[in-house]
Amino acid sequence: MSVVEHTSHGPAHGAGAPHRRNIFMRPGFVRGIWCFALFFVIGYYLVFGIRTLAGWDPHQDWNIIVLVGGLTLGPIGFLLGIGAFDYWLYWVSGRPTIPDDHANHGATKWQDYFKVNTDHKVIGVQYLATTFVFFTLGGLMAMLFRAELAQPGMQFMDTQTYNGLVSMHAALMIFVFIIPAFAGLANFAVPLMLGAPDMAFPRLNALSFWFLPIAGTMFLCSFLAPGGAFATGWTSYAPLASEQPIGQIFFNMGVQWAGASSILTALNFLVTIITMRAPGMTFWRMPLLVWANFTTSLLVVIATPFIAGSQFFVMFDRVMHTSFFVPEGGGYVLGYQHIFWFYSHPAVYIMILPGFGIISEIISVMSRKPIFGYRLMAMSLLGILVLGFSVWAHHMFVAGMADWLRVPMMISTLLIAVPTGVKVFSWLATLWEGRIHLNTPMLFALGFISMFLIGGLSGVYLASVPITIHASDTYFIVAHIHYVLFGGSVLTIFAGIYYWFPKMTGRMYNESLGKLHFWLTFVSFNLTFFPMHWVGLVGMPRRVADYSDRFADLNLIVSISSFALGASVVVFFYNIIVSWARGPIAESNPWRAMTLEWQVTSPPPIFNFDEIPQVVGGPYEYGVPGARHAILAGTPTPAEAAV
Amino acid sequence: MRRGAIVRIAGIGIVIAILVSLVAVLIQWLPTSASKQMDRIEFVYWFATVICIGIFALVMSVLIYSVWTFRSPPEDESDGPSIHGHTGLEIVWTVVPAILVIAIGVLSAVVLSQNGSAGTNPMTIKVFAQQFSWRFEYPDSDGLKSGQLVLPVDRNITFELESADVIHSFWIPEMGQKQDLVPGIDTSIVITPTRTGTFSLVCTELCGLGHSTMRSTVEVVSQSDFDAWVAAQKSGGGKEDSGAAVFSSAGCSSCHAFKPAGSTGAIGPSLDDVAAAAKKAGMDPAAYVKESIVDPNKVIASGFAPDVMPGNFGETLSPEEIDALVTYLTGAKQ
Amino acid sequence: MTAHAEAAVHGHDHHGPPIANKSSRIEAVVLGMFMFIGTEAMLFGSFFAAYFFVRVVNPDASTITPEKWAVWPPAPFEFPVFVAGINTCILVTSSFTMHWALQSIKRNNRRGLQAGLVLTILMGTAFLLTQFIEYAHVGFNTSDGAFASVFFGLTGLHGAHVLVGLILLTIAALRAFRGHYSPEHHHGVELPGIYWHFVDVMWIVVYVTVYLL
Repeated sequence: MSVVEHTSHGPAHGAGAPHRRNIFMRPGFVRGIWCFALFFVIGYYLVFGIRTLAGWDPHQDWNIIVLVGGLTLGPIGFLLGIGAFDYWLYWVSGRPTIPDDHANHGATKWQDYFKVNTDHKVIGVQYLATTFVFFTLGGLMAMLFRAELAQPGMQFMDTQTYNGLVSMHAALMIFVFIIPAFAGLANFAVPLMLGAPDMAFPRLNALSFWFLPIAGTMFLCSFLAPGGAFATGWTSYAPLASEQPIGQIFFNMGVQWAGASSILTALNFLVTIITMRAPGMTFWRMPLLVWANFTTSLLVVIATPFIAGSQFFVMFDRVMHTSFFVPEGGGYVLGYQHIFWFYSHPAVYIMILPGFGIISEIISVMSRKPIFGYRLMAMSLLGILVLGFSVWAHHMFVAGMADWLRVPMMISTLLIAVPTGVKVFSWLATLWEGRIHLNTPMLFALGFISMFLIGGLSGVYLASVPITIHASDTYFIVAHIHYVLFGGSVLTIFAGIYYWFPKMTGRMYNESLGKLHFWLTFVSFNLTFFPMHWVGLVGMPRRVADYSDRFADLNLIVSISSFALGASVVVFFYNIIVSWARGPIAESNPWRAMTLEWQVTSPPPIFNFDEIPQVVGGPYEYGVPGARHAILAGTPTPAEAAV
Repeated sequence: MRRGAIVRIAGIGIVIAILVSLVAVLIQWLPTSASKQMDRIEFVYWFATVICIGIFALVMSVLIYSVWTFRSPPEDESDGPSIHGHTGLEIVWTVVPAILVIAIGVLSAVVLSQNGSAGTNPMTIKVFAQQFSWRFEYPDSDGLKSGQLVLPVDRNITFELESADVIHSFWIPEMGQKQDLVPGIDTSIVITPTRTGTFSLVCTELCGLGHSTMRSTVEVVSQSDFDAWVAAQKSGGGKEDSGAAVFSSAGCSSCHAFKPAGSTGAIGPSLDDVAAAAKKAGMDPAAYVKESIVDPNKVIASGFAPDVMPGNFGETLSPEEIDALVTYLTGAKQ
Repeated sequence: MTAHAEAAVHGHDHHGPPIANKSSRIEAVVLGMFMFIGTEAMLFGSFFAAYFFVRVVNPDASTITPEKWAVWPPAPFEFPVFVAGINTCILVTSSFTMHWALQSIKRNNRRGLQAGLVLTILMGTAFLLTQFIEYAHVGFNTSDGAFASVFFGLTGLHGAHVLVGLILLTIAALRAFRGHYSPEHHHGVELPGIYWHFVDVMWIVVYVTVYLL
């Protein structure tokens, strides 16, 4: 399996290499496991001790012990054990450290992908692999509950299990698949596109990745908790969520870990984009993928703390008997929804803006044309960023909040269709008069435009308060969500993976299988989710384990189609895995693109560039003979190399 | 611009618009309206639909035309023309959608205001939601309590909504209007039914494991039939604490079928043959019924789930009310 | 051409990454710390939002009698405004000592750096201890209603940040005594200093909101 090239470091790396400690003491999974256990025990005694000293009964409160020991200190112990903090600990303890220490950088064998690795290209692949594991699990859960929904009545499971599967499906897909998958693609591509050797804070980058498997595992572990998995939906509204069995806090804390991962990554992106651009790369010469990740990172940094707050309050209500959302104590129940949605609405933009960036790259390259209206495209990203903070209460039109809030929220929600529309029209104009190459990334990009159009238009319906009063909490919402998140975000993730696959792996995927994957996905996706628009409008609520008989036929069609959709992913996995193992060797620039990542080898050298490139023009100057985006000193251009 | 491009795009666009319009019109997307408010919601819906069909047809026709006309064989290494933008076009496609969405917004705001007004000669009904059943109270009819929702047609009804525990949501699909019931906050919604018939009330906010069963039937009848029903509820029940009255006011009828009460609820087991169920449990019918009321999880009828029936009837009903219920359900003389 | 072949052509081998271009005047670590503080400010924002809902919105919406909220905090409870005021003075002073510490190392005054850091840590610790004692004597606990929830929430969140700040400062102080810092290299003092000033400013906001308004 071809991996990121590892060039020798010479004496700086080899001299003084430490004697390899035994498996329990050297950084790795084994040390991670026993450190987890140790810190859990510390947490147990901390809680037990403080409660005994303070005289609070019961002394052995398992809610708090699990929260502190299992969900907070334990994972910190795990991170310590795998070595995520090692460099900082050496540094603060005064041991001699080299700021440019390149141990743990780059990958030569598959085991390197399971370690704390500071190379952004390795981290990008780690993110993608991990998120797709959670995608698979979340998708299997969806197929399980679609099997239950295929017929009215309860056939295989009870309603509590059903509610748990639905909640887990969404939590996995949102927090540990879509958001971090984009972070992974961006991790790989953005430093290369900027002409930088790595991200601004490579060690922080590695740490933020490792929060992710912790978050996903935490969600999944709630299945093992007494009382079952959390079953209050991914939105987990108070007061229902404050009175649930202990599985609920696995959700509350898992969100915190996923949120922390997201925030630290976003900080890294922002600092990298602001301070590490190659000479000549002004903001107006950055590729749109970079613009997209810049605005996404701003969204993350500003909004994510609010979901952290909402989860803290629910946990406080549960564990410390506070009254944030308890009306008898003076709490305001709707406060949860306001605070939660203040993040969760920007979250949907976090889940689509990077996708917009990916599509801009692909459409431009595969049409051999500059992006039409580049500046307006960048500004529309900023417009979505700003407007995105003003629409959160459109998730609360029927919630019982102050009536006067609804019309302003409706207006801002309707207006956010404008910058989004600008992007769709710009992509169309980019296609116009282009030289269109209908390969797999392009098919996914075109599929995205059509499906996201439908999802966006159903969003225009939902912006209208009277329509939402009818359609809220029905399957119409489920249809809208999946058209924008699957037909939108997931199609762009597939597009991005196919597009950058040769750069990441040095091999080419199988084009026929890629096209097959696209068509299977496109057809089964529409069959699964389009009928939901109708079913919702005529009366089927969401999150129900059972439904009225008149919805039976369509639910059966939806369920069968969903199995086909699940099966289509197998084609993708097969293609990716087999091509990575023994696909044809890929050239540096199979797409003849102009952005910087394509001007280095596939895969790129360990530190990306021999010398930092000099940027001399925009990133999409197709159609202008001799136009260059950047000059790489000492490195022949593909044209020169071909001579 | 190529010759004939506009014509071809328009052609494709018209075909798409026609196809989508057929889908919009031939399939009944919205339930047949049963309220004035739903009539207005439908109007906004159709207004939005016309605009959305237009946008969809425009985008898809340009997309399809472009992909077809400008597709290149893989060997083609040429680039397209270096067109960076066109300010006029960019202004148009920023301003026109803004105008269209604002139009939807203005219409929606007007409808919202109309749908929220309590109207003339309003009537009030209180709705109580508790995991996982509905109860209703008619303050305009001397506080009549009922487990079943009966509404007079063509009256402006304000529903005052209260929740006993978690967030629930009140929705009758054919009537369009929906509102959450939130503990600690009073909410309300206005509905003016326009036709008689039987409808469903569904809870539309995840409220726990019984959420999908938290449904009730709604009867819309003429004003005179409504008055008759009110009168029958008050008198037919006899004393306020008679078993029939309690059966209705405590909400039993929303989940349980029982012929003497005329209820057809199917969320819980039918109560038409409690004697057989008692025998199966090896208990005397009166003892069995009493236990089933105050401790519903003790014996679960086959095909039904625990923790769905409210478990606090032992506290919310007085001992006299429970005894009256037992008498009523076991068929003993009142 | 692969990187290896390229290296052979040019006759050198790789010893590490090329130095990244600095595309902005601000240093990466300083920008990172400021953005991190922005995130933390938003976290405080969510707690202030909860306070807003409990104090301002709920009395309108609540079915609990509004008269109960006419006095804040509701009778018979009171907030220890004076003690917290003393705490405010302590924390503000500690920002001055922190600033003095940073200025000292910029002028190569190592003793000043060490003294400044130690004083800041002592004052920060005094703040925390005072707060613990205040919690013990305030007369209500977390389960006493929403006003208590937002009181402990905001002051507790702030206290947690003070603790983190003290840990950072302690590390800096230990390293200062070992002579790790110089006028050219003192990020390890500057960054915790920025964080500490944030903690101080945030306390003023918390104090005004919770105790005075």
